[in-house]
Amino acid sequence: MPKFQENALILDHREVADRTWLMRLMSPKIALEARAGQFVMVRVRDGIDPLLRRPLSFHRTFPEEGCIELLYRVVGKGTLLLSKTVPGMNLDLLGPLGNGFDLPAPDARGPIALIAGGIGIAPLFDLMERIALSNPAFDPQQMNLFYGTRTVAELLALSYFGALGVRVHWSTDDGSFGHKGHVTRMFAQFAEDSAFRPESLYACGPLEMQFHVARWALAHDVPAQLSLESLMACGLGACLGCALPAASPDDPAADGYVHVCMDGPIFPAGAVQWQKLQVHRPPPPIFLSD
Amino acid sequence: MAETTGTPAAAPDLSVRLGPLRLANPVLVASGTFGYGEEYADFLDPGRLGAVIVKGISLLPRPGNPPPRLVETPAGMINAIGLENVGVDRFIDVKLPLLRQRRATVIVNIFGNTVDEYAGLASKLDGEDGVAALEINISCPNVKQGGMVFGTDPATAAAVVGAVRARTALPLITKLTPNVTRIGEIARAAVDAGTDAISCINTVAAMAVDIFSRRPKLANVFGGLSGPAVKPIALRCTYEVLQAVKCPVIGVGGIGTATDALEFMLLGARAVQVGTANFVNPGVSVEILEGIERFLRFQGLDRIEDFIGTLDTECLFPFAEDACGVLDLS
Ligand SMILES: Cc1cc2nc3c(=O)[nH]c(=O)nc-3n(C[C@H](O)[C@H](O)[C@H](O)COP(=O)(O)OP(=O)(O)OC[C@H]3O[C@@H](n4cnc5c(N)ncnc54)[C@H](O)[C@@H]3O)c2cc1C
Ligand SMILES: Cc1cc2nc3c(=O)[nH]c(=O)nc-3n(C[C@H](O)[C@H](O)[C@H](O)COP(=O)(O)O)c2cc1C
Ligand code: FES
Repeated sequence: MPKFQENALILDHREVADRTWLMRLMSPKIALEARAGQFVMVRVRDGIDPLLRRPLSFHRTFPEEGCIELLYRVVGKGTLLLSKTVPGMNLDLLGPLGNGFDLPAPDARGPIALIAGGIGIAPLFDLMERIALSNPAFDPQQMNLFYGTRTVAELLALSYFGALGVRVHWSTDDGSFGHKGHVTRMFAQFAEDSAFRPESLYACGPLEMQFHVARWALAHDVPAQLSLESLMACGLGACLGCALPAASPDDPAADGYVHVCMDGPIFPAGAVQWQKLQVHRPPPPIFLSD
Repeated sequence: MAETTGTPAAAPDLSVRLGPLRLANPVLVASGTFGYGEEYADFLDPGRLGAVIVKGISLLPRPGNPPPRLVETPAGMINAIGLENVGVDRFIDVKLPLLRQRRATVIVNIFGNTVDEYAGLASKLDGEDGVAALEINISCPNVKQGGMVFGTDPATAAAVVGAVRARTALPLITKLTPNVTRIGEIARAAVDAGTDAISCINTVAAMAVDIFSRRPKLANVFGGLSGPAVKPIALRCTYEVLQAVKCPVIGVGGIGTATDALEFMLLGARAVQVGTANFVNPGVSVEILEGIERFLRFQGLDRIEDFIGTLDTECLFPFAEDACGVLDLS
């Protein structure tokens, strides 16, 4: 699959939820090749601090228009700087990178579950659109999106999902909207109460959330595709920095690593050794000095 | 300063000699920052580079260190990859043929836990079609055994270089660590033991911590700092090594522009390696090459060799009246 370096014009850029920004860029080469679940490495600005690019998933892609959309949460220096850019400016992108999601088989009819934690909604939206587009026979009501954030201010608006016609199950950690508690709890509860068995399951969110999703998927024998994260320098397979401990079920002695940028970012639930991942909660959403 | 004339001058000669090794140009990509050469092929032709130095290779495949393995710091990054690599056999069978196809000049960076392992690697790579030279890594800060340990003591450095020298006729480049008090001594030991050239420097031992989790940001606690932040250190090391030994030196550390590269060459480095900058801009090494060429034209120099080592060590107070200082090489 070809990869491009493209100087992309920012067409639109606005805050759509708390600290969450939606950016539309003109990037025809990348847009044409992009698959849902793939990502771009964004140079947030010229200069040497921050030095490295930041990985961001495709939120939506418009191959005919030559556009892509990125949805991102401001968490640190790089994303803060990115949020200051305005339409008319250009951003240097590398992409499309990574493997991307596999869409359900063309004859798939059964329910699909999508589980998004926070900004994990970003790549799942593209996926839902593509499932809807690639398979007109597929009833959008069979797509169940379980979408949780910390608080209502971080939720993307309902109207956003309306056009797709998917079933959205909302949750917030603080109960300010929808189900109170973690999205994985809501999902597990729903699955139990309604004997819900998705034919396939897609998830993106914090590692801790993905761990719970993976456990559920493995226990219930549901094929899952999880979009995992790791810190990246190159995004191309050259630096070997983005490693996660690999679990190879056939070979329990294997103690190698998978690389998120080239083997992923989409992995089946059993691909990584979750117990070897030191999952710690991300810092609170505050900035001390900047 | 040469006058500009109506007829375009012939392209300057960028070829450089490093002892027995002759390179078409002085811009190389540093080990560990360009994978095995294929990873960047969508963005540039590896055959255009002076050489591709591949990720450090050991006798057996190595999984590397547990994650998190990297962290960004101001103007740099710290990595603790731990020399993950496919092992020499897979390198020869799978990776090297791809590089040969691309007509790249290949330098293999080798690394062992023992002197014998270094020697074993040299034997295996000796005579492999498409290998132009070996770079002996005695300077990686990220592995417990071997690695930097060999590079911090003149006697062990000499033992490694000597053992490799005994097993191969390939040109040898020894890569030094800045994490020593007197880098010149290590360089001298390596030269006496038979290295043909020196690469200077590997990453600088470094650390980063997180005040929220109250933990180190790297699973390995320590890592190696690279990027623009280390350039002044690399320049100083290169200068010291050039004073200590006569053999050719390759400058590496924080090079991201043609100006950076030319600074090392001004000191006397006969070639440079571009490392972390590849992550930022995959085409940067070719841009640096083109920038060097523009600089030579601007200066009216026909050969890069005429610029190398022309530093006048007497420092003058700078006045900004000379436009040369603001030439945009990028
Ligand atoms: C393949 C991939 C796709 C991604 N897609 C998106 C997306 O579509 N939208 C989005 O908002 N974010 C996405 N991310 C995460 C995003 O890359 C990081 O939030 C961003 O790099 C942080 O940069 P920063 O300079 O703002 O933060 P920094 O100042 O670097 O760090 C601030 C905080 O964020 C944490 N952080 C930094 N990088 C990551 C990371 N890669 N993953 C998790 N936490 C991180 C740090 O540990 C730290 O706690 C993706 C990550 C990957 C690997
Ligand atoms: C991710 C990464 C991996 C590296 N791996 C190796 C390696 O395998 N062998 C080696 O000799 N040097 C390795 N290095 C060191 C670089 O080759 C180079 O010496 C160093 O990064 C300084 O140059 P820079 O500042 O231009 O990156 C690595 C550096 C980085 C950033
Ligand atoms: S980010 Fe460099 S190998 Fe994955």
